[in-house]
Amino acid sequence: MSAATSPLLTVKDLHMHFPVREGILLRASKSCRAVDGVNLTIAPGETVGLVGESGCGKSTLGKCIVRLHQPTSGSIIFQGNDLAHEKGAALKAHRRELQMIFQDPVESLNSRHTVGDIIAEPFVIHKIGDDAWRRQRVRELLAKVGLPANAAERFPFEFSGGQRQRIGIARAIALEPKLIVCDEPVSALDVSIQSQVLNLLLDLQREMKLSYLFIAHNLAVVKHVSDRIAIMYLGRIVEMADADTIYRAPRHPYTRALISAIPEPDPTRNKQRIVLQGDVPSPINPPSGCPFHPRCPHATDRCKVEVPALRTTGEPGQQVSCHYDL
Amino acid sequence: MPASPADSSTSEQPVLEVRNLVTTFDTDAGRLTAVDGVSFQVRRGRTLGIVGESGCGKSVTAFSIMRLLPQPMGKIAGGQVLFDGIDLVTAPPEEMLKIRGGRIGMIFQEPMTALNPVHTIGRQLSEVFLLHRTQDKREALALSIEILGKVGIPSPEVRVGEYPHQLSGGMRQRVVIAMALACKPSVVIADEPTTALDVTIQAQILELMQELQHEMGMAIVLITHDLGVIAEMCDDVVVMYAGQVAEAGPVERIFAAPSHPYTRGLLESIPRLATPRKTRLKTIEGMVPSLADMPVGCRYQNRCPYRAEICAQPPPQEWVDDNHRVACHRWRELPSFQA
Repeated sequence: MSAATSPLLTVKDLHMHFPVREGILLRASKSCRAVDGVNLTIAPGETVGLVGESGCGKSTLGKCIVRLHQPTSGSIIFQGNDLAHEKGAALKAHRRELQMIFQDPVESLNSRHTVGDIIAEPFVIHKIGDDAWRRQRVRELLAKVGLPANAAERFPFEFSGGQRQRIGIARAIALEPKLIVCDEPVSALDVSIQSQVLNLLLDLQREMKLSYLFIAHNLAVVKHVSDRIAIMYLGRIVEMADADTIYRAPRHPYTRALISAIPEPDPTRNKQRIVLQGDVPSPINPPSGCPFHPRCPHATDRCKVEVPALRTTGEPGQQVSCHYDL
Repeated sequence: MPASPADSSTSEQPVLEVRNLVTTFDTDAGRLTAVDGVSFQVRRGRTLGIVGESGCGKSVTAFSIMRLLPQPMGKIAGGQVLFDGIDLVTAPPEEMLKIRGGRIGMIFQEPMTALNPVHTIGRQLSEVFLLHRTQDKREALALSIEILGKVGIPSPEVRVGEYPHQLSGGMRQRVVIAMALACKPSVVIADEPTTALDVTIQAQILELMQELQHEMGMAIVLITHDLGVIAEMCDDVVVMYAGQVAEAGPVERIFAAPSHPYTRGLLESIPRLATPRKTRLKTIEGMVPSLADMPVGCRYQNRCPYRAEICAQPPPQEWVDDNHRVACHRWRELPSFQA
């Protein structure tokens, strides 16, 4: 990202804590710190990849940004306005510019509505155009995502997984948004269909100058579509860098383990896998100090008590939250 | 299928051999053939991968081998599954009971559904030992604790008393692996064993399977859609498309010189770390035809860039070399492959 362009989205010190209710009285005695102080920027036309394992808070962060969640604290500055605590008409107006694509296209589409109704729904909600205009737009959108025009009269169950994801994409681009949060958009799809959908997302980005926050656990996929990548662990970003840099020179021990754990489709490659011990700790009882220290092969006493701050490294744009230069 | 040129030579006896397996399902749309003439051999102590996309019949093949097809819809309509001198297709149910979980172990994708939520880990593991190895409950429990330790579960003597929901996904899959290996099987069938797990946990489980294979010498049939997992784990691979074997052979050969256009399409369409960023990926156009509506002749023809008139005829199974076979009319004419 060049310094000249001001970011489209700036997330500052964002927290999303969910109360954990326990006991007979269901008192909120503890909280689950799903997102725990995240800072992030996305430039116009940029794709930021967000990678992490289940439960690291990546989806929660995505949902906060499109304001499906009301964050506990922090700010989400989008085109100069702070969305974090916006409500009502003001929020609705900004939501036009912020859309989301979900992992499971089956569950994200209403099975009782025709595909035409699903894609036209954003126009209805935002009171845009008349019936004839909406029908015309739906036809254009279907063509744009590579579906036949007669799809409008059919129901979601008549389509395959990849086609359903195209329907979800058509709905997301209907209002010509600036930013789309893509939450594991190809994880449920077969390999041959996955590349079709990734190509579609890349084409649409070029054509409509879209920004994406691309959330996924498949690093090879994320690297392919992203300009910059953020690695998330237990609610925090532990490393951030250009997509190429993060693969060439990963600095955080977690990033290194993640990269080494991707099974690569090359049987001749004799790769040294870094196998992390243990599971991801619970965000309800996060470890003290560095959240990664219980699984880190390089952890010292300092890591157990002192939370490392995100600091810059020698590489352009790279930030890492580790006490040490490994 | 014609015999392999290698068959007559010194090649060792396979531990498991599937010959011309045909499995059908009776559905509202009529009888559908989910597995259509599948053949492969599993070498002793080696790992054979079966790769393909959803609906290609890879899991149905596994369920057919174990005779665990959903009843009454699923039926093995033809072929043989040879294991230890017997044909599992015709083996009596009592015999299958002894083999399943005994000499052939199973690992399923979703460990939560493979385990019974209302019984403790110890009770479920003991059941396997009581069925196959011992009459003594206390001995069965001791064996359970031993095998839990072996699959890397910390403090196994505590964990045997716990229920599946108290364990993480990775730990549950370790329990399922413990159950599969309890009776020192000669073959383990693993159906997408790491698909539901995170990458770092997947790495743990794959490493565990490799270690245990090294130690116990069982053969593994690994079913997955992930070509990366195939490349890292397998010696041989069977590529399935629409219920049939498109191509099969040693993993290095298949990845370096795929002879079937479908295998090529798969290998070309996955983004790799070395692929230039934000460039369009190669794709396989269209989608898998439905089982009820298969094209006559080669089943890949409607998506194949090399399609010719002859593809309307069923493709022959031909040997590219001693161990590498392909079902394509035109494999000799394809341009050389670059991943």
